[in-house]
Amino acid sequence: MRRVAFALAAACSACALAASAPPAPQGAPVPALSSTAERVYELARPRILQIRTLLHAAGRQTTIGSGFVVSPDGYAVTNYHVVSRFALDPKTYRLEYLAPDGTSGALQLLAIDVAHDLAVVKIDHARLPYFEFDPRALAGKLPQGERIYAMGNPLDLGFTIVEGTNNGLVGKSYEERILFSGAINPGMSGGPVTDADGRIVGINVAKRVDGEQVGVLVPARFAAALLERAHTGPPLAVDKAKEEVGRQLAAWQAEFYEALQRQGFRAASFGPYRGLESQAPWMSCWAATNGDDLPRQRVSINTTRCSSTTAVYVSDRLLTGGLELRYEYHKSIDLNAFQFSQEIAQHPGGAAYDGGRRLTAQECRDDFLAPSGAGAPALRATWCMRAYREFEGLYNVTIVALTQDRDREALLARLTMQGVSQANAAALGKRFLEAIRWAR
Amino acid sequence: MGAVMWIEVLSRHGDVAARERIEADEARVGRAFDNDVVVDDPHVAPHHLRIFRGEDGELVAEDLGTLNGLYPEHGARRVPRLPLAQEPGIRIGRTTLRVHDAAHAVAPEKRLTPPRAHAAWAAGLTVAMLAALLLLEWLTLTKEATANRLLLPLLEISTAVVLWSGVWALLSRLFLGQARFALQLRVAVTAFLALIAWDQLTETLSFALAWREISEYAMLGAWAILGAACYAHLVSIGPRHLRVAVGTIVALVATGALIQYANKAEARRVAGQPATLGDLRPPQFRVRPMSSVDAFLRSTEATRRKVDEARKREPEGGSALGDADAGD
Repeated sequence: MRRVAFALAAACSACALAASAPPAPQGAPVPALSSTAERVYELARPRILQIRTLLHAAGRQTTIGSGFVVSPDGYAVTNYHVVSRFALDPKTYRLEYLAPDGTSGALQLLAIDVAHDLAVVKIDHARLPYFEFDPRALAGKLPQGERIYAMGNPLDLGFTIVEGTNNGLVGKSYEERILFSGAINPGMSGGPVTDADGRIVGINVAKRVDGEQVGVLVPARFAAALLERAHTGPPLAVDKAKEEVGRQLAAWQAEFYEALQRQGFRAASFGPYRGLESQAPWMSCWAATNGDDLPRQRVSINTTRCSSTTAVYVSDRLLTGGLELRYEYHKSIDLNAFQFSQEIAQHPGGAAYDGGRRLTAQECRDDFLAPSGAGAPALRATWCMRAYREFEGLYNVTIVALTQDRDREALLARLTMQGVSQANAAALGKRFLEAIRWAR
Repeated sequence: MGAVMWIEVLSRHGDVAARERIEADEARVGRAFDNDVVVDDPHVAPHHLRIFRGEDGELVAEDLGTLNGLYPEHGARRVPRLPLAQEPGIRIGRTTLRVHDAAHAVAPEKRLTPPRAHAAWAAGLTVAMLAALLLLEWLTLTKEATANRLLLPLLEISTAVVLWSGVWALLSRLFLGQARFALQLRVAVTAFLALIAWDQLTETLSFALAWREISEYAMLGAWAILGAACYAHLVSIGPRHLRVAVGTIVALVATGALIQYANKAEARRVAGQPATLGDLRPPQFRVRPMSSVDAFLRSTEATRRKVDEARKREPEGGSALGDADAGD
């Protein structure tokens, strides 16, 4: 499936000053593109920082990313994932910045927004020029097709500026994201994206690895809001950052499952069965069949998979926030009942998400479920869950159900929820299990 | 009284090398040629032992004041005199002797297995095994049925069973002097049938009771079957040191089972159970009563407590949960 791959490697740099850049005069010929990029690059250069995460014990960098100064008192914006190692484990890591004038120093982590992958940090260097936000971007009125400029240090090869196009908001996305048609590469994370005047319109965050030049930006207004929070609220205590991440994840899932509820559900048909489907616009659905496989199969399988486009980066190798509903309708062509049951047993129904050691080992519970009403089949069901070691009350839950009313056709249904509370998982699980019914 | 005693000199392998009939109440044993029983063992004295009838008529062995002395057959404690009524075995030097009264009770006659009985059984069981395998292959065949898919596993398994039996027959030939391949084949095929049955039983129960641990730990039963098969093979060979052989087999099988169990437990602790339905059978095989959706979801609270319990335990490798790679 199309999954957003985070551009984790982040060597950032970049940015342009806007205020001083004279807007192109009305009616004047549009300047050659290259000259605009040149100008933006020149403006941006002194306003960007390299943000490094160092291993305490070794005193060496383990990750590098970018940030950009946004206030005269040294506040800078970057991606949460650029500073996540430090936020989750301040005993092992520390943060450092490198300013364009060659100075470096300690960074203070002031605020994080895990859902939007943003963080605000403060440098003890108050003489740097700073970026301003593009008011059109804050109002969400940046015209589609406008040239915008992403800056960063792709693959640590050197500071680059990438000219691309603003293509409005990413469709079918739960979180608001800007679709940037231009190359964003690992290493550019946390870098700024500006308009032709060097004003911030977004922040580099990710690219789609299954496409070409499909970049994803965080809209500037979330950065502006977080900056506002950092200015007014108390700074984040170093040893409370992990708690804060946990709190934000819990709040995120509460909001997400409420939104899911609000968007409503419908019954979808799978052969003679029906199952739950979300009406949320940010669910992406795909179907597949084995009907044209060669050699001819002895069971026909029609698969429907709807997954949310959500992915919240928590730490290395731990993405969360996914939701997937998958239905496989199996119908025997010439298998007997025993063979048919063996055929289904070979279908795990999709790979499990892997959170490595950041999740506990998976524990499962199996049962047979009586029909949940007239018109519903009996089910063989399994509930499996893993807990997030670092965050209390969050789990990855998988529910698998297999209809038990017939022995030569069956619906294999699977609901996967990442980073969900037990209550939300059970509530959606109940809906999911009780929605499996006969179509007639 | 015409009392007769028999003195047996055992070989180093434990079978009888010589048996002397003594028609007197006393016999002398030693290396010298004036003894009733002459033992060619440099660790035995020229006049080592006197065997005589005590006052109650029971046989007694007596050390004649030797350097190396007299021991019970399985004992480590030197004795000056040894009553032989209960334990007829004695050890002098490196030689084992057994002394029997004429009245010594012998084991009843053992029924002779009719000629070719093992062969008939082995053939019948092999046919049953092949039929069972073919049936299972067919029942679990979900792709196109081809001769290769059905027959190749049969051929492989048959070859393995024959090789296994052959190794035991070789051992039997070595120790017993007879290969008795049919008997070994009979044991091996019986064990294999038991394995097939065990496998199906546990998988079916695992589904019928919705209890995945049954099939998760079914391999312990398979190891027990393997152990039993080895025991049967050993008994059929009847090695002299059966107890040692059985002990070795038990230790080997237990070690195998333990290693596999430890691997399983480790995988279970690190990755946990897979999010699948596990073994499946047609719905008619269900035995466990059905729950309601609500009761099922309530029961997941226990699962939650389990993983919450696990999250409090520190993962291995210290406090840093971070995966060691630093390639951002």
